[in-house]
Amino acid sequence: MSELKCTDVVENIMNYIDQELDQTTLFTLEKHLEMCPECKSFVDTYKRMLSLSGNLKNQIFVTTDIRKRLKNLLKTKIKPH
Amino acid sequence: MNIFKKLLQSVLIRCGNLYNFQNDEKLINLYIQEKDECAFDELVNRYIDRIYSLCFRITKNKEITEDVVQEIFITLSQKLHTFRAESTFSTWLYRISTNAALMKLRKEKRHNNEVISDDVNYSENNNNNFTYIAKDSSKRPDVFLLRKESENEFNNALNKLPETYRLVIHLKDIDGFSYSQIANILEITTQAVKSRIHRARLELRNELSDYFHEWSEN
Repeated sequence: MSELKCTDVVENIMNYIDQELDQTTLFTLEKHLEMCPECKSFVDTYKRMLSLSGNLKNQIFVTTDIRKRLKNLLKTKIKPH
Repeated sequence: MNIFKKLLQSVLIRCGNLYNFQNDEKLINLYIQEKDECAFDELVNRYIDRIYSLCFRITKNKEITEDVVQEIFITLSQKLHTFRAESTFSTWLYRISTNAALMKLRKEKRHNNEVISDDVNYSENNNNNFTYIAKDSSKRPDVFLLRKESENEFNNALNKLPETYRLVIHLKDIDGFSYSQIANILEITTQAVKSRIHRARLELRNELSDYFHEWSEN
């Protein structure tokens, strides 16, 4: 990849994040990021978005009441076969 | 000696919380072969929060979610003997759950002419809506509030996406499944998973553009 366009950054973003780009593409992409503030901003916000989703790993939607209600209901309905 | 060891192990398992230390496959065997209800209870304890979150992410409605979670675990108790360990139990359970939630959502949409009420407004000003509980270890109120605010922004943006996109973001970026595990859950190719995640993330980033604009200015 001799020259890289902004659309190539978008195309390659997942492989870049997953560290699956070959050395040449990685080098060209990082060089492009140094010169292109829009793409730099795109990559930064993309990483920020992934960090936000990572923060939700421990998020629980179920309240104690719902959990209790569900478990009580299941107890009445489930018997080993 | 072996029989004695087996007996002792079996007694130990039945005493106290020793089920916690058993892996999923062992619990499944105990439930199927010995009809041990405590083993199934442990599987429910282990997965109910994650399955509830997954289904709520798909349906965005707590009433439908409660119904579908109940159905999933009842089905699980009836079909557990069909689990063949060709994939991990969690992947298998996620596949059953995803299909059940999507089917339930489609059925409800048909029944209600495509209108399903959303219970996912995370605004702090609206107390009537469903709120989630985040396990946050931070004791500093300012850190907690900032984090909560960004989580709310993220959840609101994610909930604007179509369910197929919400689902892959949830599986990959929140629950942390690999591409091949997601392919197994959704029964599509790994390449199709990657492509769907790519499009979902671009759309999510777009939904978050105002938030990122403010963020870059601070």
